[in-house]
Amino acid sequence: MIFASPAFLAFAALAFVAALACPARLRWAILLVASYAFYASFRKPVLLAALALVTSGSWAVALATERESDERRRRLLCRLGVALCLTALAGLKYVGFFAGSLNPFAGSGALRSGLTGPVAAVGVSYYTLQAIAYLLDVRDGVVPAERHLGLYALNLAFFPKLLQGPIERAGKLLPQLRESKRPAAADLAAGAQLFLWGMFQKVVVADRLAPFVSAVYGAPRHYQGLPLVLATYLFGAQLYYDFAGYTDMALGVARFFGVRLTQNFNVPYLATSVADFWRRWHISFSSFLLDYIFRPLQLALRDLRTWGNPVALLLTFALSGLWHGPTWSFALWGLIHGVYLATGALFSRTAGRIHKALRLEGSRTLKALQIAATFNLVCLAWVFFRAATPGDAFYIVSRAVTGLPRSLAELAAGQHADTMLFLGESPAEAAFAIALLIAAPLLRGLVAEKPREPAASWRSAWLRTAAYAGMLYCAVFLGSAAQSFVYQQF
Amino acid sequence: MISEKLKKVILSVLELDDWDIRDETTAGQVPGWDSLSHARVISGVEDAFGIRFQTREIVRLSTVGQLQELIDQKAKK
Repeated sequence: MIFASPAFLAFAALAFVAALACPARLRWAILLVASYAFYASFRKPVLLAALALVTSGSWAVALATERESDERRRRLLCRLGVALCLTALAGLKYVGFFAGSLNPFAGSGALRSGLTGPVAAVGVSYYTLQAIAYLLDVRDGVVPAERHLGLYALNLAFFPKLLQGPIERAGKLLPQLRESKRPAAADLAAGAQLFLWGMFQKVVVADRLAPFVSAVYGAPRHYQGLPLVLATYLFGAQLYYDFAGYTDMALGVARFFGVRLTQNFNVPYLATSVADFWRRWHISFSSFLLDYIFRPLQLALRDLRTWGNPVALLLTFALSGLWHGPTWSFALWGLIHGVYLATGALFSRTAGRIHKALRLEGSRTLKALQIAATFNLVCLAWVFFRAATPGDAFYIVSRAVTGLPRSLAELAAGQHADTMLFLGESPAEAAFAIALLIAAPLLRGLVAEKPREPAASWRSAWLRTAAYAGMLYCAVFLGSAAQSFVYQQF
Repeated sequence: MISEKLKKVILSVLELDDWDIRDETTAGQVPGWDSLSHARVISGVEDAFGIRFQTREIVRLSTVGQLQELIDQKAKK
């Protein structure tokens, strides 16, 4: 079931009514049944089995770890639990990839047509990381082990966040599930607004940008210069609206049940450095990387002095690339970010001194330059994320630059506007896409933060109502035919 | 109780002239003490006190007070 579908809306409504109708102490059971039913709708019994196995295994191991007083045995138990989670992840994701005759040396195919193969492991990448975080938190005494299996199971399987996260921390989600409070009117309003805004981002913005990107990335060698550049920038926008759209829909649905999930995004393309970007993009994932991979690695490598951080960053982000998929393309994408961050770590103090010397420190000019530079660095890395093979990615990167002067000259001479600018789509489609790219950030300013507060004035309430009505209209009548979420394949 | 020595080490590594560092102070409250400089602070403390931490002892520290307690434990041995 995809979020932006009548089937899902009906299901969510049913779950909502059932959860409200039953007594509070049984609400977890209704939600757990609903979540497993939701997962069952993908018609892959192996997924349900894996979820049940990881759930019961990590629950039992956490309890045993907490009871164990001997430090060595605690760590051993914890390692067993983590190994179980990683086995489930590897078994479902990477074996599936190899079995599906997708040559891992070929490339990522981040958006293979139809998105059939990789969806086989939907959700696994997210709940296994959540379980691993829980096991490590229990080992270190950060959270107590959960005795109630049903609550713990719901913590992993909660359907709004099951498919693509956010990757929640037990310390934040379990108390909410235990409290099981009825949603207030404000929660319902906020939930509806978040869901609608999320659906607009996904169905209207992201899905309408997709054909432009696919036209070029589907056959990159037919293009050079400007179309390669435009398609890459558009992919950056598409990916953001796709994933942020999903996140807002997930947060909206969860709000209907009185649950507040973690926000995954914070205007990532306004980042002033790649490090800042990772504090704003897929936040639940990057904070997992920071707390459970980077920090221990950094401390273990501290004897390398200046080189400790760069090495730790490279390793952490290479791993993060592989989490997305076992291909060279994803590994390269991760490594590229690792190089960006390692370079930043090595030169940030020098850069700071240069800014001070040039009297740029704290200036708007510097900030604008940093934002532009970061955005371009991130988009350069996106080429590897999106291209079907590393070969295509290198072609795109080199020809985008070398072909640019010629393609601009051709455009100025009035040639090939349809391929250069409109990337094979009609001018009307292109105009609509541009309008969306301008309107979306403005709409975001209007609606995104507001669901958490009541309207400041009657005027702003009317404005927002009009905005939501407009978004609903667009989503229903101007949305693209349902396309899968990009991040669902990870 | 935070020792003057520990306070001096932290200030020196982070290149600060002065900062109010107490038992309950967390890394986030001290300018420049972030996830990247954290390893330098730990190394600085180890060098200054002639001790060696195990990764698992320090990976979940949240306050300077806890760090001081750990130093005291190590120093006793």
